[in-house]
Amino acid sequence: MGKNGLTLRIIIFLVLNDFLETYAHFCFKQSALSQNDLHIRGLGDITAFAHSMIVNPHLWIGLVCVSAIFVSWSTILSKIDLSVATPITSFSYVFIALISWLFLHEYVSPLRWAGIFFILAGVIFVSMSSHDNTDVAP
Amino acid sequence: MKESLLLIILLIVMTSTCDTISQLCLKASINKLDLNVKGPRQILAFILRIILTPLAWLGFVFSCLSLFLWLFVLSKAELSFAFSLDSMHYVFIAIASGFVLKEKVGLRRWIGTGLIMIGIILVSLTGNG
Repeated sequence: MGKNGLTLRIIIFLVLNDFLETYAHFCFKQSALSQNDLHIRGLGDITAFAHSMIVNPHLWIGLVCVSAIFVSWSTILSKIDLSVATPITSFSYVFIALISWLFLHEYVSPLRWAGIFFILAGVIFVSMSSHDNTDVAP
Repeated sequence: MKESLLLIILLIVMTSTCDTISQLCLKASINKLDLNVKGPRQILAFILRIILTPLAWLGFVFSCLSLFLWLFVLSKAELSFAFSLDSMHYVFIAIASGFVLKEKVGLRRWIGTGLIMIGIILVSLTGNG
């Protein structure tokens, strides 16, 4: 494709993307927390759930972040391949685990951390392959 | 929070699938633009051209669907659990990038995808809280 180069500008966009994504999901979790004892029995329950989400201000703060992500993500995708860009933004996995532990009081067990670091190791492997021109397509 | 683990995982698979379709639509529509964005005017033109692309709108619809499913998942699962499992969309995207967008997906990228899958399995083993 000839557009795999990771310039400083693209990296800044990717980091911005990470922070925005982490904060957006924190907001989404905050809005969903109000409905955590929900049981879906019919269509009415689904619309009631949708309504309670739409009127929740946290959802809208999250959506503002998502709009900003849309602009930065579109810029990133116009410069580098999707299969390169997507994994690099996954550093938000560590940020998400940290805010879940610090602010949502979730217990992140050693096994869960191990899983998250496997995901990160996967990310680094995938990132390395962005400069690999000797790979053979399957 | 004590919903069946299998149901939560199934919902996350659905969220990731919607997300993957959305990303593919966006990437395919932006690939067609092939713009070199530099100034504010070009950024505006870029945004306008994306808005006028039907495939981008299809991506937006799948984004909304993904968001709704995601909020539903978050009402039932811990964030550090659900978000880690949601990384399965990387696996879906790696496969789809190769087969749909015809991007080159090499050996190291597949190994990375494999490691992500091991991570997903480990996080799944921790259960939901």
